[in-house]
Amino acid sequence: MIVSTITLYFYVKNLMRAEVEEELYSTTARVETILGENGTPFSLPPVVEVASVNFITEKILKDTVIYDPSQKEMEEFRELSTFKEINGTKYKITVRNLIVESENILIAIILSYVTIILLIFIFLFYLNKARNKKMWLPFFTNLEAMKNFSVTSDKALYLIDSEIIEFSEFKDEIEVLTNKVRSDYKNLKQYTEDVSHELQTPLAIIQAKIENIINGDGLNDIQFEHLTSIQRDIQRLTQMNKRLTLLTKIENNQFVNMESVDMNLLVEKTVKNFQELSNVQIKISGDANILAAMDPYLAEVLCNNLISNALKHSDPDGTIDINFMENMYSISNSGSKPLEHPENLYSRFYRESEAIKSTGLGLAIVKRICDIYKFDINYTFKSGRHIFTVKF
Amino acid sequence: MKILIAEDEIALQQSIATYLEKDGNTCEVASDFTETIYKVDLYEYDIILLDINLTTGSGLDVLKTLKKNKTESGVIIISANNSLDDKLDGLDLGADDYITKPFHLAELNSRIKAVLRRGKYGGDDTITFNEINVDTKSRTAYVNGKALSLTRKEYDLLVFFMTNMGRVLSKEIIAEHLWGDNSDLADNFDFIYVHINNLRKKMTSEGAKYIKTAYGSGYKFIED
Repeated sequence: MIVSTITLYFYVKNLMRAEVEEELYSTTARVETILGENGTPFSLPPVVEVASVNFITEKILKDTVIYDPSQKEMEEFRELSTFKEINGTKYKITVRNLIVESENILIAIILSYVTIILLIFIFLFYLNKARNKKMWLPFFTNLEAMKNFSVTSDKALYLIDSEIIEFSEFKDEIEVLTNKVRSDYKNLKQYTEDVSHELQTPLAIIQAKIENIINGDGLNDIQFEHLTSIQRDIQRLTQMNKRLTLLTKIENNQFVNMESVDMNLLVEKTVKNFQELSNVQIKISGDANILAAMDPYLAEVLCNNLISNALKHSDPDGTIDINFMENMYSISNSGSKPLEHPENLYSRFYRESEAIKSTGLGLAIVKRICDIYKFDINYTFKSGRHIFTVKF
Repeated sequence: MKILIAEDEIALQQSIATYLEKDGNTCEVASDFTETIYKVDLYEYDIILLDINLTTGSGLDVLKTLKKNKTESGVIIISANNSLDDKLDGLDLGADDYITKPFHLAELNSRIKAVLRRGKYGGDDTITFNEINVDTKSRTAYVNGKALSLTRKEYDLLVFFMTNMGRVLSKEIIAEHLWGDNSDLADNFDFIYVHINNLRKKMTSEGAKYIKTAYGSGYKFIED
């Protein structure tokens, strides 16, 4: 760029100088012709000056600076002085021509360069921007669609095609992948449901046969103990099965009844039911009334699971407090130490201790129910109590 | 009583029959939809145990036929599906009760008796055994005409015992009966001892000593 500017500068300068010189020679020739015709020397300073001289020397070509009164500044001229003898008279013919100032040339060159570059730059900038926008539009649209994609949703991922081969292939691959993930997820859910379902009948057979055995003859106490222990395990399997099915159903959004559930009433009912079955005291406090918009069956499951969880983990001589506050309620039970891994609290089959037998699904269900209705559930350990708070 | 067991799992069907026949009931079995329809068309039953998923058709369709024929049999639906919708559908179609697999035979037996008590014809709201008389309408138990003051669970327990007279009931069976469907706590048996002991005490003080221990940890309601 700089080299080309400099080269151009010198080239233009030389070109102009050559042009000016050519013109000077041509003017000199014309003046000579006029002088040869009428012999009267004439002048038009500073452009043409004719003077008689006594000697003849070589022509002089030089630059000179002359004051220009019309422009009131010094102007640079190229001057050619020729000595010639015409019709016996020796003349000095001086011809001058204004030359373009070299700074002006330079400025002109730079200016035009800058202008052109600027225009090209602006043009390219907007052109690129527009092209890029068009080119990336499918990409960003698809990216947004992918962000909103969820395997649990029934809706397939719809992506838009692009003229760019890479994007188009990318889109095809993503579509294949998400469809596979969705169908796998669906199959897995169906599988869980089917397995749970299919397990029920064999379990029923085992249970029925055990009952016939314990009502049969010739049984001793030890055999009876074994058989009831099997009954206990069947019971656990059954519970697990029921809960897994329930979880799947919640995830499949199969609970669509929306009702305004009176939580106070429901909790009271649940507590009354549990109170007869446990020595742990359950106390209800707070008078805020809570109405939750949800499926009544799930509301029952929510209360049941939270209260039975508290009962299960409470000290035998401890108490359970249920407190109703504005739009939320808390259930707390006494405990010796905070949970070691509260982050796993809602994971399926997570148990903090093996001492207490449970399906490990109760709180996972509670969490799913809270999730689908966007209720806030929180666990804290404060002054020797495990506290669950549900905000509706 | 004449009972039809419509269940496609032969092993389960036979086990139910064995259990119920001990009480002197006559049990007939049907293993698929066609056989069920055929039998309910031909014979009268006091109770029909109806599996929803019969191999060649739906138990719910059998139920529709029964209602169309204005059969007076009590119907208990047996289902592997613990779905509320199925339950409501079944009850809406006129079933008397609904039980989910797996279930305890004692529980089934107790439900059968309850359906018979509520029966449209010849139904009797009372359960009587020697000096004990239970009025299931008012949920009150009397010994020699004197009302016992029982809690809800104690009352349930007494009815459960009386409807399964002579049967060995393990604490697991009793726990499940008392807890019902939604419990995760049935591992905790302490309360059962408490309730059984309370019930025993209240009955013994009136002279009714029928609740016996069986095999160390089980119970049996039986006359000496």
